[in-house]
Amino acid sequence: MIKKIMVCACLIPFLAGVCAAEVWKAPDQEQARERAKETVPFVKEYKDDCQISRRICLMDAGISLDDVTTVYFLLDSPIIKDREDHYEPVRFAHKRHAALVDDCTQCHHYRPKDENALETTRCSACHQDSFNPEYPERIGLKAAYHQQCMECHQQEAKGPVDCTGCHLKHVPDHKELVKLPDNPDPIQVTKACLECHDTQGEDMLKTAHWLWRGPSPYTTGHRKDILHGKGTTALNNF
Amino acid sequence: MQITRRHFFRVMGVAGASVAVRPPAGHAWQSKAPPDPYGCLVDLTRCVGCRKCEEACAEVNCLPEPERVNCQCTIFEKDRRPDHDAYTVVNRYYTGKVDEFDKPVPTFAKVQCMHCQDPACVSACIVGALTKDETGTVRYDVTKCIGCRYCMVACPFEIPAYEYHDPITPKVMKCTFCYDRISKQGGVPGCATICPTEAITFGRRDTLLEVAKQRLKNNPARYLPHIYGEKEVGGTSWMYLSGVPFEQVNLPALPETPSPKLSETVQHSLFTYLWSPILLFGVLGGLMAWFNKNDNPPDKGGV
Ligand code: SF4
Ligand code: SF4
Repeated sequence: MIKKIMVCACLIPFLAGVCAAEVWKAPDQEQARERAKETVPFVKEYKDDCQISRRICLMDAGISLDDVTTVYFLLDSPIIKDREDHYEPVRFAHKRHAALVDDCTQCHHYRPKDENALETTRCSACHQDSFNPEYPERIGLKAAYHQQCMECHQQEAKGPVDCTGCHLKHVPDHKELVKLPDNPDPIQVTKACLECHDTQGEDMLKTAHWLWRGPSPYTTGHRKDILHGKGTTALNNF
Repeated sequence: MQITRRHFFRVMGVAGASVAVRPPAGHAWQSKAPPDPYGCLVDLTRCVGCRKCEEACAEVNCLPEPERVNCQCTIFEKDRRPDHDAYTVVNRYYTGKVDEFDKPVPTFAKVQCMHCQDPACVSACIVGALTKDETGTVRYDVTKCIGCRYCMVACPFEIPAYEYHDPITPKVMKCTFCYDRISKQGGVPGCATICPTEAITFGRRDTLLEVAKQRLKNNPARYLPHIYGEKEVGGTSWMYLSGVPFEQVNLPALPETPSPKLSETVQHSLFTYLWSPILLFGVLGGLMAWFNKNDNPPDKGGV
């Protein structure tokens, strides 16, 4: 019982998130969603410089990490979804990747031939539908993403290389699935969660979130007490 | 009629000579390959072994869902072949290739019907249930099939499978090249559509050959300098690029002559002007006469 209350405590924020989705929308998520819908004109000709000259080009143009304006992209292009729509979009932390890789040319490997075009264009400007007979050597957007991401993740031994590592899980709308009384108490909520997510409940019991014990530096009077924790004395257990 | 041994050989000699001087089989073997077929280029250096192609294939062709479709942990431990439940399967091979940490690097290879330009199966089929279409597809018509399974024996890639478990309406099962999709404008086979890395490139065979040559030229370190299927058995619609020897990923070394060329030439020359049956029966007749003579009971005198 005690344990299950704990599970409940952990799941409440999640459930609250699901319920509140109607009311509050993360502004950057909305922005990314809108942006993902856009398509841009196809870049027919590109300049295939080698990577070093690309780097020099970017340096000369004074483009650096500070110019990374878009922090976050949702990779959810209609170009891909036209052919098949099996997976949920990928959340791509653009700025974070830029900071980690510290080399824009890793992904922005070529530039359009048109001198007036931006130095760093979108992937989807050059990579659009697959198997375009007029540009047979040009891979499609989906392949461009997968080849680029997976190859780098593999090489750097960092980042996921499996499907669900990047693709969001498809979460059905829980409004229909979960029936709760008005103003439910934590125990009722946890119970509702565990009705379906019992394996997650079991798994959770083996994690540090459940078993932690140690000093509680922010709890008055318990700052040095190493025996406190959910593994020992915490109270709100199911 | 008395045939002496010498006489017999003389007859045979004449017959043999007449065959020898006869001009070579009237019609030389001619390829029936369509001029501008579609094809697929499978780039093994791009394949990540996700088996989405198996999943898509099953969905498009209404086959049972592949075994453990979302789990790649143990499935690669066995070497699988396409069968009556799966037109395509992906296998994993360790060929001795290692990465910079000396860790063995797997190579994944998808296998399916190659849709040969001059298919042995089509040539072997005595009722025309298998045909090579303009699109490059080798199509199967179950209504014509009599179940002799010659195609299975003839195929150099051992592809066609048979529904042995179905005693009433068994079918030969093999990749359909998603004919219903590719025969429509802009259609792409299921596997090529879903492949996340474009390890399968779909297009006109000639275009794909150009693409393949370009890849070999631009990245010689990544590939072996060979396009498997460009020339093998006279060319196939499905072709492969690889970074490891093709035999090691179960793509056998095969001659460049289309398999039907030899078999059809032999057959046709045997039956041109019906000379071989005539000769056969001639020889048999001769032998019979000779044996009869020998078996003639000794003259009993006046019986
Ligand atoms: S691979 Fe085999 S089944 Fe496919 S076309 Fe060639 S001979 Fe026929
Ligand atoms: S879908 Fe593509 S990458 Fe995945 S196993 Fe098939 S050929 Fe390989």
